Amino acid sequence: MEPGVNNDVGAAVAAVAIMDYDAELMLRVKEGDTVSFGLLLVKHRASVIHFVYRLVQEQAVAEELAQEVFLRVYRSRSSYEPTAKFKTWLFRIASHLALNWLRDEKHERGQERLDDGSPGLPLRQVSDRRPTVEQELVYQVKLREIRRAVAALPGKQRAAVLLHKYEEMPYAQIARVLECSESAVKSLLYRAYETLRARLAHMETT
Amino acid sequence: MNCPIQSRDSERLVAYAAGTLDTETARELEQHLAGCADCRSMAAEQTALWRALDVWEAPPVSPDFDERLYRRIDQGVRLSWRERLARAFDRMPLRQVLPLTASAGLLLVAGLLLQHPGSIATVAPRGEIVRANQVERTLDDLDLLRQFGTADSGESAHPNAK
Repeated sequence: MEPGVNNDVGAAVAAVAIMDYDAELMLRVKEGDTVSFGLLLVKHRASVIHFVYRLVQEQAVAEELAQEVFLRVYRSRSSYEPTAKFKTWLFRIASHLALNWLRDEKHERGQERLDDGSPGLPLRQVSDRRPTVEQELVYQVKLREIRRAVAALPGKQRAAVLLHKYEEMPYAQIARVLECSESAVKSLLYRAYETLRARLAHMETT
Repeated sequence: MNCPIQSRDSERLVAYAAGTLDTETARELEQHLAGCADCRSMAAEQTALWRALDVWEAPPVSPDFDERLYRRIDQGVRLSWRERLARAFDRMPLRQVLPLTASAGLLLVAGLLLQHPGSIATVAPRGEIVRANQVERTLDDLDLLRQFGTADSGESAHPNAK
């Protein structure tokens, strides 16, 4: 090992720990503080489940995978080193599990799977009044079209779009989550948005 | 400003649609869009796509999510290695379990044989018996063929045979 490597890693760990409060919390979890784990869970629970849900498009599976994500976080507490932002690490675990599930599910079923009509579909909240039946129908049709278009994307493109759009991650962070280069992320997003524009850009006028 | 499409820099159009460009860059891009139909069209489509994706709300999280997680954490702490192994196999599809079980079985047998070399000797005689039977049967077959061969040579139609 090069002599400067340990110092570099040490400096990176210190820098991330200073900048990232979540990493600080995780370091406390490492020391046995379960309250800090609870804080991390409360803070990131919804975003992890929503990200995984949009990837796999099944609520029960999304929650099961999200449970596995947090279980892994908890179980790896003793070996945790804050070499990246906590959120990056968390979403790397989530992406890994969800993309593996998608790959296995694709092999198992050999076709696209959507839980259309499942009770997990949210009802749209139109400002402070209840939507009419017609509005609800239009919403459900739009939603189905969006979900189908996203589900048709290859797994990694799908993950990149969801991290970019809903988690508002910059390209560099997406690259770290998906363990690829920043230029690969640009390419993934370019292709994904091109496909999605072709399928969904007409929606605004309908 | 360079044309984002021609300079293969569509991220600027994506960022513009997402509203994440700084004011100065957004203003420059808008000036470019006024004179570039291709970029204008792409920016309009990307903006429409961005708004369409806003429609997709994820369902609310189950109220018992945390409770289930903490229960699993507690169970994980109490589970023995046998239970953890059983759980790991339980979650796997059958097509993954079978090869893994077969490999584990082979490794176990190999390990046992290496640990107790004497047991190889107890397995060997059965193999010997089988091999002895096979040799015996093969010799019988050869005898039979030889007899046929002798008979054949006696009845050969070849003119030089006699």
